[in-house]
Order: sequence, then structure tokens, then C-alpha cells
Amino acid sequence: METEHEPKGHEAASDDRVGFGFWVYLMTDLLMFTVLFACFAVLRNNTFGGPTGRELFSLPSALAETLILLTSSFTAGLGMLAARLGNKRQVLGWFGVTFLLGFVFLVLELKEFVTFVYDGNTWHSNASLSSFFTLVGTHGLHITFGLLWMGVTLAFIWKRGLDSHLVRKLTLLSLFWHFLDIVWIFIFTVVYLMAFLV
Amino acid sequence: MSNEVRIPKVGSHHGTVASYVIGFVLSLIFTLVPYYLLVHKTFGKNALIVTILVFAVLQMAVQMLFFLHLGREKKPRFNLAFLGSTVSIILLIIVGSLWIMSHLYHGMSAMNVTDKVVTDEAIYQVNGVQAGTCPGGTGKNYEVMMMDGRVTPDHIEAHVCDTLIIVNHDSPTRNIIYGSGNNTETYAGQPGPSIPRGQSAAISLTEPGTYTFHDKTLSTMSGAFTVTQK
Repeated sequence: METEHEPKGHEAASDDRVGFGFWVYLMTDLLMFTVLFACFAVLRNNTFGGPTGRELFSLPSALAETLILLTSSFTAGLGMLAARLGNKRQVLGWFGVTFLLGFVFLVLELKEFVTFVYDGNTWHSNASLSSFFTLVGTHGLHITFGLLWMGVTLAFIWKRGLDSHLVRKLTLLSLFWHFLDIVWIFIFTVVYLMAFLV
Repeated sequence: MSNEVRIPKVGSHHGTVASYVIGFVLSLIFTLVPYYLLVHKTFGKNALIVTILVFAVLQMAVQMLFFLHLGREKKPRFNLAFLGSTVSIILLIIVGSLWIMSHLYHGMSAMNVTDKVVTDEAIYQVNGVQAGTCPGGTGKNYEVMMMDGRVTPDHIEAHVCDTLIIVNHDSPTRNIIYGSGNNTETYAGQPGPSIPRGQSAAISLTEPGTYTFHDKTLSTMSGAFTVTQK
């Protein structure tokens, strides 16, 4: 006999609590990013005679990173739809693509960092670059953590199949991933686009 | 189906393929449009800043509605309420920081900003050093001679922004020491000048008060000047 798959009362309440708790974490994380954004906005022009963002940044590469991250957010969404239908293969497929896109994003970001440092523009150079590396690097760390989380969760799904516990993890993970996408939108706008204006 | 799973209600307000596709297309548009506007410098600088920020906020709205499914939460909307309070704190921090720091720029910044403030506000002394600007321009020049073991005249009465010129007619190089003794006191943040034979040194009189000076090796070779406000 099939039973209804609507969650029972206490389970639904527990899911709501977990969802809200994770949301509270995301919002406090957002506050941390806010402070880093404020630092960057205040210090962006204090280059101590060094090159400005306009001279350092490559707009096409920042655009590529943005498009990659937006696409990964989209594929994560499709992966969640598949998870709700209980389609393990599609979940692994879509989240596999998300993982790859996230990884390519991280490689592009690290490549940019390495280029800067190789040219002598490190976080030691001036206040502007310190705040740049802190802000963008913190986002990169979040992406790294998200990739680890995704890898582990996908490995579990691959071995054990989809169960409600893993789908819940996947749901929180996709919330986290969309959240990082939103933070990146503001990095793209405030750090990269604005560098060519201010 | 036996392998069907109970769908947790965490962030339970899921979309459809259609809503994800719409969200994705919108997010691409909201990325490419500001990029295009910026690269082709479509508007003036300020208009572009506002436009780009508006697109960032639109982009955020798309992500929140189509990917995070905010607004489809059932009441009470705790997530939305918490987002609201977070956004208000964010605005306080960002707007407050920029506002305060732009005002504090007067007091804490790079030399060129200090120079600008000095010029704008006709400040004639910064950190005890003559800034090169005097309200109403520099005043008179007073010249004293160092020769025959004495300073002539040995006392000068001057006003702020006047200039004292010390001429060394004697040999050898005269090292001017302010105050009494051989300790290096300063006037207006500067130690006394060294004046080679036959040359002179100009001292901008920016600090009011009475000061004495003498030669380092020949302390009887001394003079004084009194600076008063105009």
C-alpha cells in the first residue's frame, strides 16, 4: 500500500525549523559579506600609488565567471526538481554539472589571484588590494566549501540512493549555492563593473 | 513506487522547470545589459552607476523569487521578515560607512587629499609645517645678518605669515639652533637650518610667540624674533 508522502506534523515542523535555522545562518553570513563590502567600498581608491582596479581587472573574465556561476545556480535548481521527483540519475547529472561549473569558476578566480600576485599586486601592497582579496577570497572560500559539501553529498547519493535525509541536505546545499550566486552578483557589480566607473 | 521519498519541506516552495528557465533567462539579461551599457559607455558616469546598481538589485530579486522561492512561503513569513531586518542592517552598514568615511576623509587620508583641504580652506600650517598657503598671502620679509660674531638686528618683530631671512656673511657654515643650549628645539616643526657661507635661509613665521636662536658653535652669536597674530 502506498502512503501519502505529505510529511507528518512533527516532521514538517522539524523541516521548517531546519530551513529557518539555515536561513538565519545565510543572513548572518550575508552580514559578514556586508562588512567586507563596506570595507572595500571605503578603501577601494587607497591604492598607495599602485595600480587601480581599472588597470588590474579583466571585464571579460569577470563576465565569464558571472555567467558560469549563474548557470550553475540554474543547474542546481534543475537538480532540486529532479530530487523532488526522486530521480537519482538526473540529480547526479545536474549537480555534477553544477559541481563542474563551480570548479571552473574557482579555477578562474584563483588564476586571477595568481596573476595579480605574480605581478607583485598582493594583499600586502595596499589597502585597496587587501580589501579586494578579503572580499573576493572569502566568497571563493565559500565556493570551495560548497564544492566539498556537494561532492560529499553526491557521493552519498550515488552510493545510498536518494532518501529524505539526503534530499534535505541537497535542499540546504542549493539554498547555499543560490545565496553565493547573489553575493557574487554584487561582487561583479561593485568590485568589477564599478572599477571602470569610479 | 517504493523508492519514492518523502520530500522534506525545507525551503519547501519549489518551482517548476518553466520558472527556473524564466529565472535563468532573466538573470542572464540582467547581467549582460549592464555589462553592455558599461563597455559601450552609454550614459554619463553617475547615470551608469545608478543603472548598474539597479540591475544588481533586479538580479537579486530574480534570484530570490525564482531560485530561493521567497514570497511563496506560507504564513507566518519568518524567512521574509528576517531577510527584511537583515537588509535594513545592510543598508545601515553600507550607507553609514560610506557617509561617515567620506566626511572623515578630511582627517585621515593621503597627502594629496590633505593638500586639497589645505588649499580649499586656506590652512597655513599642517602638522607644524608651513603649508604654503597664508590667508591673504605671505607677508613681509625680514632680513638679519650673521657677521662679525653677532646677529644684526638681534631682535625682529614680525607677524604670522611673514618670512625671516637669515644671511650668513661669515665663514664657516652656520648651524642655527633654536632655544638655548645645544638641544635641537624646533620652530614650527622644523629644526634650525644650516646656512653655508654667503648664503641665506628663509624661515616661514607660522607659529606665534617669541623665539631665540643662535649658532651651534658660537653661542654668543644669537638673535630673537617675536611673531604675533595679525
